[in-house]
Amino acid sequence: MASAGSGDEKAAAAAMITLISSDNEKFEVTEATATLSQTIRHMIEDGCTDGGVPLPNVTSKILARVIEYCKKHATAAAGEEGSSSSFSDAAFLEVDRAFLEELEEFDDAFLEVDRATLFDLILAANYLDIKGLLNLTCQKVADSVKGKTPEQIREMYNIVNDLTPEEEAEIRRETQWAFE
Amino acid sequence: MASPGPSSPPASRSTRRRAPSAASNAGVLPPDVLFDVLLRLPAKELCRLRAVCHGWRSLTMDPLFASAHAARHPDPLFLASFRDDRMHICVADLSGNVVKRIPNADGHQLLCTRLDLACAASVGNSCHVIDPATGSVHVLPESPAVAHLYEENLHETSTSFVFGRVATTGEYKVLRSFAPIYTEADVEHYHYQLFEVFTINGASSSGSGHAHWRALMPRYEGWRYNECFVEVRSAIVIGEVVYFKVDIAYDEQIGLDRIVPFDLEREEWMEVLRGPISDIFFTDEYDNHLEDYRSLGSELTLAELRGSLGLVHYRKYHHIMDLWVLKDFDSFLWVKEHIIQIEPIFPTTEGFVKSLFMLEDGRIVIHFPVTGLLFIYDPRTNTSAQVEMRHLDAVAMYTGNLLSLQVGDMM
Repeated sequence: MASAGSGDEKAAAAAMITLISSDNEKFEVTEATATLSQTIRHMIEDGCTDGGVPLPNVTSKILARVIEYCKKHATAAAGEEGSSSSFSDAAFLEVDRAFLEELEEFDDAFLEVDRATLFDLILAANYLDIKGLLNLTCQKVADSVKGKTPEQIREMYNIVNDLTPEEEAEIRRETQWAFE
Repeated sequence: MASPGPSSPPASRSTRRRAPSAASNAGVLPPDVLFDVLLRLPAKELCRLRAVCHGWRSLTMDPLFASAHAARHPDPLFLASFRDDRMHICVADLSGNVVKRIPNADGHQLLCTRLDLACAASVGNSCHVIDPATGSVHVLPESPAVAHLYEENLHETSTSFVFGRVATTGEYKVLRSFAPIYTEADVEHYHYQLFEVFTINGASSSGSGHAHWRALMPRYEGWRYNECFVEVRSAIVIGEVVYFKVDIAYDEQIGLDRIVPFDLEREEWMEVLRGPISDIFFTDEYDNHLEDYRSLGSELTLAELRGSLGLVHYRKYHHIMDLWVLKDFDSFLWVKEHIIQIEPIFPTTEGFVKSLFMLEDGRIVIHFPVTGLLFIYDPRTNTSAQVEMRHLDAVAMYTGNLLSLQVGDMM
């Protein structure tokens, strides 16, 4: 998956990329890991990754987590790709299922972070354009909002209520059914 | 979280990679991420969350958001009225969960439609068109078309209504019929049903007579085949055409599976359609007696099958229902596409189907009149499952978007 479109998969998988966090910490990752980020994939395609990829918007703390996610998912993707050429369908399905279960467990554990970290992960995933991570983190926020009252949500996410009492009353009238 | 502008567009690949603000830890999500997060929530949650702040309100009310939400949550919704709650029409999902309740006037029957508006009407000449998203109600005038002012049908009114939409003009139209009066003294007279049309949102509703009922030409003038009456309550609308069953109460000689189409756009009656059953009714396959032929009329239900006309034949004593589909309008080519087993799934107390229509995914919704039960039949697996809900009086497909607060052209 990481090297889709490239004819020389092994060479691509072996290539290393250096990512540099906002606080100047360097992370060496394989190209397969790095290219889960569409942003970095485009940089690699454009040949502008020599000397490292500076990521001025991502702290080392968050970048470490993001790389952790990408490593896991790049491995899973590579594993899936490898197994697809396997001869034994049953074994291959078994391996597949194990992979998926493990990945799910990993994702669940990965999301056990405080709200600030979660938001930073979302921002990093958005900036780096890592679809899977953005999907995972956005869903986590969406789940946290489900079933809550507007008051609870404001409190959870430090949102200032900028509606006048009249406006709020009007919205509640319009959407009264949604509070039933 | 951020307060997005009133029309944050869905994030495109090119705009998505935006650098987070310096204070990225302040719990602020960029508008496109908030868009992505809120898109995942069901409509009911979103309507409640409009009261969080300005930003959330404008985002969830944005038409772009509404259409993106509809694309992401394609599960069909339907309109339902329940026997134990005559004061409401409900928007429900196919699991039987009521998503929204909107007020309905007592005694008003929900019409079977496939639209983004609901129509509820009484036999006492009262008809309301309701927008389930906004709750706005359009009450239709009771006074008859000028040309019908002195018709004797109006002395003792029993009204029936049909509600449809003309796609080419976007107009919603209501067809009203006054039941014919049929007394002993009138036997020598001709009788016909009076029909009128009302346009809800004419392009020029501020004038040109759109706010009035318009009389239709009496049908006996335009008919080349039979002078018969139609069962208005049997009507279904497919595209611009309303289809009626014939009403055998007035003429037992007529082919009981005849179908009378009406062009809602041109407001004209069309040629009568021959049904598939009367021609083969006396063949071995059916092996029926004359009494059965008379009862045929009550065993038939018109059906909407994703744009095609269907005819349900509930053959209780054969333990099956046939579902015929009209394949070619001009040659009356009907094909029996499905044979659905009645037992043991469907209630034995039922003698016919009240309404039946096909969902986009090919599954078929079946509603029974006596028990008020609703089933979903899946032709691919030939299985039926009951939707757990209260006694259902009437059911319609809902094609609207609950997030929409646009009143649109309706009023």
